[in-house]
Amino acid sequence: MNARWSNLVLGGAMVLLFVAGLFSGPAHLAWSEEWGALSGEGSPTAVTIMWQLRLPRLMTAVLSGASLGLAGLLMQTYFRNPLAGPSVLGVTSGATLGVALVALGGATLGWIPHALNMAPQVMGALLGSGAVMVLLGLVMGQFRSRTALLIFGLMVGYLAGALVTVLQAGAEAGALQAFVHWGMGSFAQGGWVPCAMMAGALVVAVWWVHRTASRLDMWTMGALTARTMGVDERHLSWGALGTAGVLAGLVTAWCGPIAFLGLATPHLVRAAGAPRRHAGLLWPVLLTGATLALFADGVVRWCGVPLNAVLSLVGAPVVLMLIIGKGRWSTSKAKGA
Amino acid sequence: MTLELSCDALELAHPVEGVGPLSFHLPPGSAMVVLGRNGTGKSTLLRTLAGLDLPKRGAVTLGSQPVAKMPPRRRAAHLAFVSSTPPRGAALTVREVIELALEAGGHPTTRAHVEAALDQGGIASWADKSIDTLSDGMAQKVMLARAATQADSVVLLDEPTAFLDVVGRREVMSAVGSWRDQGKSVVLATHDLDAVEEAGWANRWMVMRAPAQGGSIIMESPFTSAAAKQLLTS
Repeated sequence: MNARWSNLVLGGAMVLLFVAGLFSGPAHLAWSEEWGALSGEGSPTAVTIMWQLRLPRLMTAVLSGASLGLAGLLMQTYFRNPLAGPSVLGVTSGATLGVALVALGGATLGWIPHALNMAPQVMGALLGSGAVMVLLGLVMGQFRSRTALLIFGLMVGYLAGALVTVLQAGAEAGALQAFVHWGMGSFAQGGWVPCAMMAGALVVAVWWVHRTASRLDMWTMGALTARTMGVDERHLSWGALGTAGVLAGLVTAWCGPIAFLGLATPHLVRAAGAPRRHAGLLWPVLLTGATLALFADGVVRWCGVPLNAVLSLVGAPVVLMLIIGKGRWSTSKAKGA
Repeated sequence: MTLELSCDALELAHPVEGVGPLSFHLPPGSAMVVLGRNGTGKSTLLRTLAGLDLPKRGAVTLGSQPVAKMPPRRRAAHLAFVSSTPPRGAALTVREVIELALEAGGHPTTRAHVEAALDQGGIASWADKSIDTLSDGMAQKVMLARAATQADSVVLLDEPTAFLDVVGRREVMSAVGSWRDQGKSVVLATHDLDAVEEAGWANRWMVMRAPAQGGSIIMESPFTSAAAKQLLTS
């Protein structure tokens, strides 16, 4: 199947899942009511369900899946490591700490009167991921290798994890429950404003990847070879890390720390025989990420299983297959690796 | 437009400080061999010539512009570098590598141009194979073709025959000779003295030595393995 047909099939699957999600749900509305509500007619309840619940949720799933898939592709290309994902930079950990500070620290210290208020939670996640991005920008010039950068992300993760544990130990039961629930991930907490912000970031990211696709291809041959082929290392590093960080930070702010989508999507796309060059990978990755997110959200709605559990059930076998089966990835003997 | 590579009172920086000052000039079609024991700075010299590392003092110029200050894309069109180990983990076919080389050099990337470059590099029969599935020798040959396709003026080779068998070494030496005939300058760092002598194209050579051993020497004469060995061991 050529690339155009693959994209059409993926796009078709995404649209089918989107439509299925739009016309199903616990409210059991009649078809005519749902159709009418989409054009703003019918009962206010039906209009609210369609326009304020189902559509934003499905749009959040599409945008989150596409964003995380693209962020994962960028991280795996930049680090030349198949196990890299959006979480490796510590951005997700920073967002989690931000939410914990607001939800658990705030509740404990009496800054916030109620257990978990949505706006402060989102602000916490954005501030947390933003702080890690700023820190990364300040120290990146000091790193002599990309391995050091990976270790930086890991250490930020440990530090954030330790602080979250301290906050959890002293938190009230209600706040703790809400925080744990946030950690399970959900596309239901989105809305039109988050969708607009994620869509804006995704459009810029797609533009950048499209414009830089050949440079990213050269980068897969190692930093040394890429630099002598005219790749500006500083520009590519800032572009790849900044783009992935912003995409992952925005998704985490509204949907929680989403597992595996970023890691698994690029591998699924490659395993399905997508083109190797980034210009050809871009659309399959976006469509596959969005389709997987819609599928997982559908399972969540039908079975009531938390989103991260569904994604891990799909993602963990993919990672295991990688470790067991793909020895070729481990042979990074190139000098510039 | 073919550009000339020149070094003026070049002193290398970390990790081989104390090497230099080196001054030389490579007119189009030159072939210089860089020799030296391990750790004397051959790779650092090549990286500095490529504009990847900054010198401690002195200057490397390509045409009239300092090589390290050239815009990366402009530099890539004139100068290419091949390291001792071919890349691994890149999910690209040989054809895609050549397409990227044409793009890096600012050349058209039509099918005809790609096929011509594949034929010229002697790699057309592997065109649709992934470079990750090729042997080290075959992958290195692809990297050499990549460099020759990309740059019109200078190709820098850092021990490109290190992992090759006798036939592979001969092929590399033969390729270098053909680039020289096309007007490209080549700088080759190697330990393979006999292969260089057999190829017979080296018209200048440098022996890199520590300051305590008398410092580095640049010879502007045909290369002989015996003379080189004497300088390396003295």
